[in-house]
Amino acid sequence: MDAASRPAVVIDNGTGYTKIGFAGNVEPSFVIPSVVAVNESFLNQSEGRSMGNYIAQYNAGIMADLDFFIGEEAVSQSRASGIYNLSYPIQHSKVTNWDTMEKFWQQCIYNYLSCDPEDHYFLLTESPITSPEDREYMGEIMFETFNVPGMYIALQPVLALSAGCSTPKPQMTGVVVDIGDGATHVVPVVDGYIIGSSIKSFPISGSDITQFVLQLLRERGELIPPEDSFEIARKVKEMYCYNSSSIVKEYNKYDKKPEKYIKQWTGVKPMTGVPFSFDIGYERFLGPEVFFHPEIYVDDFRTPLPDVIDMCVQSAPIDTRRGLYKNVVLSGGSTMFKGFQKRLQTDLKKIVDDRIAASNARLGGDVISHPVEVNVVSHPVQRFAVWFGGSVVSSLPEFHESCHTKEDYDEYGASICRTSPIFKGMY
Amino acid sequence: MYPLSDGISSECGSDKVPRSDPFTARPIDPVYHSSFVDEEGITKACGCPLIPLKTHIKGPAPVSDQDKIDIVDEAITFFRANVFFKNFDIKSPADKLLIYLTFYINVALKRLEGCRTLAVGTKAIINLGLEKVPVPGEPGFPFPGLFSVPRSQDEAELFRNYLKQIREETSGRLLNCAYRPNGTPNKWWLAFAKRKFMNIVVL
Repeated sequence: MDAASRPAVVIDNGTGYTKIGFAGNVEPSFVIPSVVAVNESFLNQSEGRSMGNYIAQYNAGIMADLDFFIGEEAVSQSRASGIYNLSYPIQHSKVTNWDTMEKFWQQCIYNYLSCDPEDHYFLLTESPITSPEDREYMGEIMFETFNVPGMYIALQPVLALSAGCSTPKPQMTGVVVDIGDGATHVVPVVDGYIIGSSIKSFPISGSDITQFVLQLLRERGELIPPEDSFEIARKVKEMYCYNSSSIVKEYNKYDKKPEKYIKQWTGVKPMTGVPFSFDIGYERFLGPEVFFHPEIYVDDFRTPLPDVIDMCVQSAPIDTRRGLYKNVVLSGGSTMFKGFQKRLQTDLKKIVDDRIAASNARLGGDVISHPVEVNVVSHPVQRFAVWFGGSVVSSLPEFHESCHTKEDYDEYGASICRTSPIFKGMY
Repeated sequence: MYPLSDGISSECGSDKVPRSDPFTARPIDPVYHSSFVDEEGITKACGCPLIPLKTHIKGPAPVSDQDKIDIVDEAITFFRANVFFKNFDIKSPADKLLIYLTFYINVALKRLEGCRTLAVGTKAIINLGLEKVPVPGEPGFPFPGLFSVPRSQDEAELFRNYLKQIREETSGRLLNCAYRPNGTPNKWWLAFAKRKFMNIVVL
């Protein structure tokens, strides 16, 4: 049974979470935080201590490679004992620390998926801003360290598009709004090819919203244990935050019926075991409002998300624009706020309609243009849209032909991974 | 413009509908504006209309009907939203007053920060009201350039008295919101004391 007949391994590395699983499944087998806890206590120690220490250091040197944890275990281990340091290999959707990334993949493959990398093709994902060198490193690690028979590096927005289809045949033209934990990108894709010059980024992402929620809670003087504050704010955000149509209306709703809208959060302090609780109020709708009014959180950026999407489409070739407006696909965990899709659609439609009205007025009413259909698509697998798209793509029969194979790697070297077929001709 | 053969030139109607260039962002306008755009018959001072208030306090403001919303109500309703924003698009001169009141509410909340009961809070607010109220042009006025400088001493005094009156009225209604019926502070309002409106540090 060779590698091509086994399901491929699909790994989607994000800034906050990594989704791993096998092709053909509907959802990833594991969703783990992208964090590694390494034991660095034996580095930088001076030589010539006592005999016992020398032996311990020697043993640690042998075992140091294996003495690390990833994901949730990493977080709990680093909390439990002081010898582990947390390291986040991916910052703002780019890999910054390749050693740690290699360790991360090692545990993913051997501990979590428990599979032999030599028996499976691999599909990895990359963000639209990765450089060719990053692809080369990825290929090098996969082929050299793990000896995979073949791998494919897919672009996250294109995979998200193939997940966000409502028809049996995926619509490969659309704008992908990918809001993850570390980075937000608005990427236009036409017929499966990304229009690189029109990619727009937005400086707010999931972790910023969490920070904002935490800031609001603290300003009100809510008692949150400091060691857990970010985690608690994140859970509050995921459970209770939603998008409203107007902030002032929401404030009035909260004033009139506080018992319906103000929620309580109860928890237990991890260190002492003492229970605590606090109220959750305005941050429920103020948090996600940052996407539509960034200046309430950041000082230097004022353009709301619907405007960024509009600018992105307007900078794309003119014949593609209707298709792009018709299929604005959401992907990423931070697009899952209740009311987000509706608000984005309303705001974006307003911008487009205003422009059409202005242009019709300019032409004096002689020429009326076709109304532009604006559609923001949300679908059940939004959270893992990229992973799901990867699962779909790697189950296709043509997948194995498009992979970079080990034979090619042995023959030509890591540079075969530099080019991405989606960006063909650009670099 | 293309001259048509029957002599009618095609006006583009540019004064009715704003041109929108697709490659630049449209004007961003997030805040909530005052509805008092009509300025017929209202006295002006420093470029700002002295809008009627529903108040019993003595001062130069004309009296408004008791069941209409006045600008102080608007300022309080919009405060919790407008306090987050740092850029404003001024649609009418009444918006200038709205901005001033939003800033004043921020200042007042900061004074109320340590006050545990309504009585202590009221005292702090009265102290705030006794302080000198600067007019545009004087140092200490928070928004230099927002209002025009008064042209005469009379205009300055008129505006100063109007500001004093509107501030007192706002303080009264604010205490209603900032404290619960039983006299304890309402944390949902006092949280905004920590917000810096327009990044102006309030002493």
